[in-house]
Amino acid sequence: MLKKLLKYDLQYIFKFIIIFYSLALFFGILTRIFLNIENSFVLNIIGQVCSGALISMIFSIIINNLMRLWVRFRTNFYGDESYLTHTLPIDKKTLYLSKIITAIVTLFVSIIVIFLTFFIAYGSNDFINMIKDMLLPIADAYNSTIIIILLAFFFILFLEFANILQCGFTGIILGHKKNNGKIGYSVLFGFITYIISQLFVIAIVLILALFNKDILNLIITNQMINISATKILIYMSIIMYTLVLIIGMIVNIKLFKKGINVD
Amino acid sequence: MELLECKKLNKSFGNKKILKNINLKISKGKVIGLLGKNGTGKSTLIKLINDLLTPTSGKVLIKGKEVGIDSKKIISYLPERTYLDKSMTVDKVIEFFEVFYDDFDSKKARKLLKDLDLDTTQKLSKMSKGMQEKVQLVLVMSRKAELYILDEPLGGVDPATRDYILETILNNFAENASVIISTHLISDVERILDEVIFIDKGEIVLQSNSDELRTKENGSIDEIFRRMFKC
Repeated sequence: MLKKLLKYDLQYIFKFIIIFYSLALFFGILTRIFLNIENSFVLNIIGQVCSGALISMIFSIIINNLMRLWVRFRTNFYGDESYLTHTLPIDKKTLYLSKIITAIVTLFVSIIVIFLTFFIAYGSNDFINMIKDMLLPIADAYNSTIIIILLAFFFILFLEFANILQCGFTGIILGHKKNNGKIGYSVLFGFITYIISQLFVIAIVLILALFNKDILNLIITNQMINISATKILIYMSIIMYTLVLIIGMIVNIKLFKKGINVD
Repeated sequence: MELLECKKLNKSFGNKKILKNINLKISKGKVIGLLGKNGTGKSTLIKLINDLLTPTSGKVLIKGKEVGIDSKKIISYLPERTYLDKSMTVDKVIEFFEVFYDDFDSKKARKLLKDLDLDTTQKLSKMSKGMQEKVQLVLVMSRKAELYILDEPLGGVDPATRDYILETILNNFAENASVIISTHLISDVERILDEVIFIDKGEIVLQSNSDELRTKENGSIDEIFRRMFKC
């Protein structure tokens, strides 16, 4: 049943967001073409305009992706369509998993599209060399490679967005347990959940600091960024955010299983 | 074993008690009218049976089991509102029902929709509310369910359409299945009812065989209802 649900959920999100992917790619290509034409003031201005449009498309991809996932969650579970969703012969855990997997897949694809369009627009040998020059010392210091550093950055970004999204889901579930002011409470509870998840991450960092002098020094002294400490923090933040995501998912499924009250 | 049983069922919203100590048994092969004035708890009871609300206390049992996946497999529910994804075409909705309900008969659905002269390639958002409601009724009645629950199927429609809806219900529900029709338009439905349940202020005030009630009270169900709940 999960596969069948996923098909409909993914279709719903992608059929809309694909417009923004196409626009971002379109402006990415135009930006590359116009900014690479030399000695033409007008064409360079057009290139700058396309570059601005590309940046706004990139923001639109993230904002629309998040908003559409939240709206879908709300209408499917608490709006008119909830009368269909909750009467399907499917357990609540599967219903929730379909939404969270859809969120993970679409966010993952969105971030890849963003990286891709950014590369199409600005990617050149000079640009790649600049990135290399910037990241190589960090990669060397971490005894790692540029690709690993980029992947780590990608995953932290992705997990942060996934966390924001799931906090929104928790907010919607808790907000709809109230009799009145459901939207307002949903936003409030979503925000509170996000703050709690961040406090959880900070608490783990503080606990780590008790066992690691480098991290402790990073917190209690004015010393410059310590490579050893930040190396641990980068990898730990991936683990911590994954943990936060899993805990959030378990909490939401439990809340869901307690029962719902649709309007 | 009863098809549907409610045991000491209560539902409150905050301090407001909507349903009070509902005890109810419904057996197979009956057409039952859940009758009551507006706002007396009919829809709340139906939502509890369909897992759309969580009881404050008490139980709803379907064939002896609490509401869950098994009960949803055998209940075909028509809510009082339009509940389908309006961005879908009728064809897509039929495909959706086929995918998720093993007992859905798509051929029957297509035949009924053809009888209505409905274009199945049309999106629901392009249809009138009345048309959307007809599509929903066809989908619900095209399942070979054991229990059909229809919440206000006649609400807000003209008398000719009411007749069409009642005919569709009568001609299409599966053999040995029961049908619960919630309505306040009693005169329209009373001819098809085997049993009636009167609900008032969140309590069941009467459950009886329709013919026995008519004989006992010497009047139609509509007249008896009007007498009992005169304002």
